[in-house]
Amino acid sequence: MEIASLLPPDGVIASLRATSKKQALQELAHRAEAITGVPERKIFDVLLERERLGSTGIGLGIAIPHGKMPELDQLYGIFARVEHPIDFDSVDDQPVDLIFLLLAPEGAGADHLKALARVSRLLRDKSMCAKLRGTNNPDALYALLTEPLASHNAA
Amino acid sequence: MLAGEDGPGGLDFDNFQIAYTLGAIALAVVLFDGGLRTHRSTLALASWPALLLATVGVVLTAALTGAMAALLFSLSWLEGMLVGSIVASTDAAAVFFLLGAGGTNLVKRVRATLETESGVNDPMAVFLTVTCVALIEAGPPNFSTNALPGLVGAFLMQIAGGAVFGVVGGLALVRLINALNLATGLYPILALSGALVVFGVAQSVGASGFLAVYLAGVVLGNRRHRATLVIDRFQDGLAWLSQIGMFLMLGLLVTPTNLIPTVLPSLALAAFLILVARPVAVLLCTAPFGFNWREKTFLGWVGLRGAVPIFLGTVPVLAGLPNADAYFEIAFVVVLTSLVVQGWTVNLAARQLNLALPPAPRPAQRFDVDLPAEAERDLSAFVVQETSAAVGWLPGDMRLEDDVEIVAVIRDGVMRLPSDAPRLAAGDYVVVVAPAERMGALDRLFGSAPRKDPSGRDEAVFGEFTFGGETLTGDLARMYDLPIPPPEQALTLSDFLRRHLRGRIDAGDRLKLGDVELIVRALDGETILQVGIELEPRRFPLLQADVARIWAHHWWRVLRNRLWRRRE
Repeated sequence: MEIASLLPPDGVIASLRATSKKQALQELAHRAEAITGVPERKIFDVLLERERLGSTGIGLGIAIPHGKMPELDQLYGIFARVEHPIDFDSVDDQPVDLIFLLLAPEGAGADHLKALARVSRLLRDKSMCAKLRGTNNPDALYALLTEPLASHNAA
Repeated sequence: MLAGEDGPGGLDFDNFQIAYTLGAIALAVVLFDGGLRTHRSTLALASWPALLLATVGVVLTAALTGAMAALLFSLSWLEGMLVGSIVASTDAAAVFFLLGAGGTNLVKRVRATLETESGVNDPMAVFLTVTCVALIEAGPPNFSTNALPGLVGAFLMQIAGGAVFGVVGGLALVRLINALNLATGLYPILALSGALVVFGVAQSVGASGFLAVYLAGVVLGNRRHRATLVIDRFQDGLAWLSQIGMFLMLGLLVTPTNLIPTVLPSLALAAFLILVARPVAVLLCTAPFGFNWREKTFLGWVGLRGAVPIFLGTVPVLAGLPNADAYFEIAFVVVLTSLVVQGWTVNLAARQLNLALPPAPRPAQRFDVDLPAEAERDLSAFVVQETSAAVGWLPGDMRLEDDVEIVAVIRDGVMRLPSDAPRLAAGDYVVVVAPAERMGALDRLFGSAPRKDPSGRDEAVFGEFTFGGETLTGDLARMYDLPIPPPEQALTLSDFLRRHLRGRIDAGDRLKLGDVELIVRALDGETILQVGIELEPRRFPLLQADVARIWAHHWWRVLRNRLWRRRE
């Protein structure tokens, strides 16, 4: 699964202004509405419901909020660099500054899991994170995120 | 070995007496170091299974191997037992090394059991060997039930005496170190000589000096004392030196040309020990403790032999028994086989059995200032490593424990207070004041990122996402389309996993559900507090059956309920 198939070019937020987890999720839902046409309130509720099961902050400053929306017909990703790291109740208690939102249609099953695994593998790559933290140009970020797999990670 | 009488070195070293004495001292140093590293929590976790393995397990292994040896080498039963006893104990140093520096981070309980077992079972093997030698020397006519009370008494003296000397000696050593005001460099030497005194005194009164010196190490390692770091580092280096010295010397003792006639039966004996005797002993000894089958398999496989059996092989030579050289040579071949076969496969086995935990980050370079023990704080400077998790953070943004204080950041020779320090970069010095027990966590924070395992996974070993144990299984099933029977979906994750995981549950246990695995991350007694989900788990064919089993259990429950109702 390639990131380029999930992430539309306008799905990159180069510097998100938020002071809390909730506010960050709202901002992401707002952008997601612009891309998917699903009302931002609905998206926000799904994300919040998922966070209630356990934080999607996976440590090292990274969060991958996700959820399933019956209204969608394909997987959508949105990436955001947070300007000032925010508290996200992460596993390692460290604040978060890189967020990848993933929305899946109902019944995406295995594709949903594969996409989540792909995104998490991408963001666990420390050199990738260092590059993402190092630029606030949306085009550069998009290019980094959608680089073909082989060029930065042999696995 | 090459340097020995048959090799190019041509050194003719066959003074078994000197070898024995030096070997004993080297072993004492290694055991003391092992003790220093054995944390109290390790003992709490594993003392009973380890104790059983170190006593009953050693006897079982010795008896089984001994019987086999008697058959293979056409020895008498007693002589067979002697061979069995010589190779019965697992090697503390080899186990500590392969599990520690070898890089694999094992599930805690398995690691603790192996470490404690290997520390405690040497005295048992020493005792069995000495007893066998004494019995053979006395000859068959004197071997009667009359000798039994004496033997039991000697055994109790070994164990109880060793324990008392170890604990008392350890406590005395702690007091001595804290009471004396010496130059820092002298503390490790004080600790070492203290340990050797404990060893010597215990040995001379017929108690087990090996047990005593191990316990003294445990006591010292778990008490607050001066110069902790210097002592640890010195001991670490010395333990290595002892190891190398011990193997070098024992290699010199072996005459390779003498090995040739016994090498095939010795290999057969090694195979029997690895494949039959050790697994059987482990299965029997761990039965009461609810290990799961993967843990038992691993414990059974990793019975590494090391220098101890070779060292014990010198005992019959010194006693002047007939065929004494043969014992020594058999032990040598068995140990070499075990080290090569098991040593090479430890890490592989741990990963294949899914017992490996996420690899720990490699520690940062750290410079310590030894404050007096009463201060209860250490002052250390960490060098931020290039791939550390701390790179790119403002010191003020990092979430640290309340008792951890960043005092200053030094970059390019300029010191800044944390409030106006720049984002951390590789090579920065971070000066921290914190209690000693926090230093490990800080090592990890400022250290390099963990190495990845061969398949490129790292922290993901514990799963991508984390859930509380009280989360409903159904919520997870809906979110990730997991194939879980509807009635089971009403259970909490904690109850669901406890129903379907066999044996006693420990952090790292996994349940396969279709394409993903659920992993126990943290527990409090019986209750599972945290569960991870791994989205791309390693394929391990034996685990594939889990979903089928869950459904089978489910239908069995339904069927049982129907039958029950009909009968009423």
